[in-house]
Amino acid sequence: MPNKPLVEVKKLKKNYGDTEVLKEIDGTVMPGQVICVIGPSGSGKSTFLRCLNMLEKPTSGQVLFEGKDTQKFSEEELTTLRERMGMVFQSFNLFPNLTVLENLKLAPIRVKKMSDKDAEEKALGLLKRVGLDEKANVYPDSLSGGQAQRVAIARALAMDPEMLLFDEPTSALDPEMVGEVLAVMKELAEDGMTMVVVTHEMGFAKEVANDVWFMADGYILEKNTPNEMFDHPKNPRTKDFISKIIGNV
Amino acid sequence: MKVKGRNVLLTVMTLCLSLLFLFTIQPSHSITTTTAYAADNSLQRVKARGKIVMATSPDYPPYEFQVSKNGKSEVVGMDVDIMKQVAKDLGVKLVVKSMSFSNVLVAVETGKADVAMSGINPTPERRQSVDFSEIYYNGGQSFLINKTDAGKYTSKASLAHKIIGAQTGTLQYNLAKSKIPGAQVKGMDKNTDLVLALKTHKIDALGIETPSAEAYVKNDPDLKMIKSGYSLNKNDTGSAMALKKGSGTLVAAINKSITKIKAKGLPNQYLAQAGKYMKVNTHNTSMFHYWTYFAKGIEYTLLISAISVIFGVLLGTILALMRFSKSKIFHAISIAYVEFVRGTPLMVQVMFVYFGIGIVVNLPALLSGIIAVSLNSGAYVEEIIRGGINSVDKGQTEASASLGLAKTDTMRFVVLPQALKNIWPALGNEFVSLVKESSIVSIIGVTDLIYQLNIVRADTYRGVMPVFVAMIIYFVMTFILTRVLNYFEGRMKHAK
Repeated sequence: MPNKPLVEVKKLKKNYGDTEVLKEIDGTVMPGQVICVIGPSGSGKSTFLRCLNMLEKPTSGQVLFEGKDTQKFSEEELTTLRERMGMVFQSFNLFPNLTVLENLKLAPIRVKKMSDKDAEEKALGLLKRVGLDEKANVYPDSLSGGQAQRVAIARALAMDPEMLLFDEPTSALDPEMVGEVLAVMKELAEDGMTMVVVTHEMGFAKEVANDVWFMADGYILEKNTPNEMFDHPKNPRTKDFISKIIGNV
Repeated sequence: MKVKGRNVLLTVMTLCLSLLFLFTIQPSHSITTTTAYAADNSLQRVKARGKIVMATSPDYPPYEFQVSKNGKSEVVGMDVDIMKQVAKDLGVKLVVKSMSFSNVLVAVETGKADVAMSGINPTPERRQSVDFSEIYYNGGQSFLINKTDAGKYTSKASLAHKIIGAQTGTLQYNLAKSKIPGAQVKGMDKNTDLVLALKTHKIDALGIETPSAEAYVKNDPDLKMIKSGYSLNKNDTGSAMALKKGSGTLVAAINKSITKIKAKGLPNQYLAQAGKYMKVNTHNTSMFHYWTYFAKGIEYTLLISAISVIFGVLLGTILALMRFSKSKIFHAISIAYVEFVRGTPLMVQVMFVYFGIGIVVNLPALLSGIIAVSLNSGAYVEEIIRGGINSVDKGQTEASASLGLAKTDTMRFVVLPQALKNIWPALGNEFVSLVKESSIVSIIGVTDLIYQLNIVRADTYRGVMPVFVAMIIYFVMTFILTRVLNYFEGRMKHAK
């Protein structure tokens, strides 16, 4: 693994009014690493993820991308940051006014100034990769949840990002569709994509992640390898959480 | 990015403002009003222009009313004939401007017209705000009562403690109030409404000038006239022309003409002529006979609504852009505008544009009406657009931002196309409600459907039927419009 971190988080804090959502977060993401962030609801996992690509502005602390403070980014640098750090949302957020193909083509054409032909070629290639090339010309509302999320992943990939953020990508899916989305994500991880995944899918975390971070009450309470985290958790809160989750499964 | 967006906004605003000015500035007599009091050149001005503008409320036969001559509607009556003679003596052409009675004096004060002539009594109160000519006709005061009450009400004394109707702001109103002990005086804007109130026993008697009373009695067998028995100063009770304060030279010229007209006994001739017109007019009171009136009303109502909705959308879009702009000033202006317009009645806004702004720039009634309704609609359209944009899920903006799309691109390709789906139907509803609400412009004399309805009521001496016809026409218009809009809305749902 190369030793220059892609993302560094230092003493990150985020308040909404009087509510402290992130109290003090530190962490490093190395290129090619897959990090799964787990923890109870309301622990600040999603907020943490959204601070990485500046969808939320940190209250204090720093998020460094390749050593540069993202809070000091100009509008242009911010665009570049987001080009290189794609995001997949829990509720897909496909654009319902555009076809699947247009969903994929919009950003490459408008941001990367790609030609329509090149963008289309790229989009079709990506759709084939997620197994949805025959859905290119339909509108998102005719897709199943699993298909929609695979399109959303393809849309993020269309910008050739070096890193992908996943915000509970399978939480809004019917159980029988979870597998197809996780399969695509696993493939990405195997291809060397840097990924930060907020998830409740412990099986996926155990199998794919290099590192698992456990978050609760606005802190990262434990960072560990998947095996250690699930088999020998150190922090009592982690223990409690994992026993509950595994118990349910 | 920020600076660029603001520049675009500024350009759009400047463009719209200049457009507005192009529309509003009238080359004709816009400057004359402001210089009127510098020196009394009122006569000179009228002569130079070659025409004299008379404001009148043509719902007061036989003084002034509308007839249809060869399919064209025209204001006739004793007042018009006298004024024609005066204009002839001055060597200028006569232009008649119609509006509601409560507005004729304001029209003179604000320079919308040179002369107000509408059976006006030169009361001391009115003399404070306008100049009056000599009295050109003294008709005397009477009451109209229901024939069935003929035994009960025989004189002024028998009306004590009864409900007396009169036109608001008229001599008749003040007389009933001050000279009939214990009377409850009910004021309305139009004699047609008052006659209807009398016939439906909402009022017991109606104070009215004798010639008008005679006209109603001739045309309605259920009514009876009794003499008022007021003892009055002739100088207060006759009819005179009202002019803007400081129009001494024009008043003098008109007085000369009036003396001549009276000496020849022309007023009585004109009254007889008016009586003939009324017979023609009331010969056929079928609503079909008046279809051209209603058709013209529909045309104006639709015209005002359609133009206003277009300008309303333009203004509303600008206001919405300002509302979403990062500039605190634009944001505040937009909020203040919307709150103010939504917090004041359209009727007041219409009067403000026509009379208030009219002091600076002389706007024709139709244009004033369209401007007022557009300005009003803009505030509501802003709310529609804002609601439409806010209704788009926040996740859409975030997804777009996470792909690196600029804010303007996000607006253009993601948010607006989705917002439009919510905005279109609401804009359609706004158009439909403008068809109904624009009816208020009739108060400044725009010949929309309500205005025509009142003309038909005055002409036919039928109070209810024209109202019913107008109600059906409004319903048919809004019903058809709603169906058409639903059809397009349905099609929009399928094709994305």
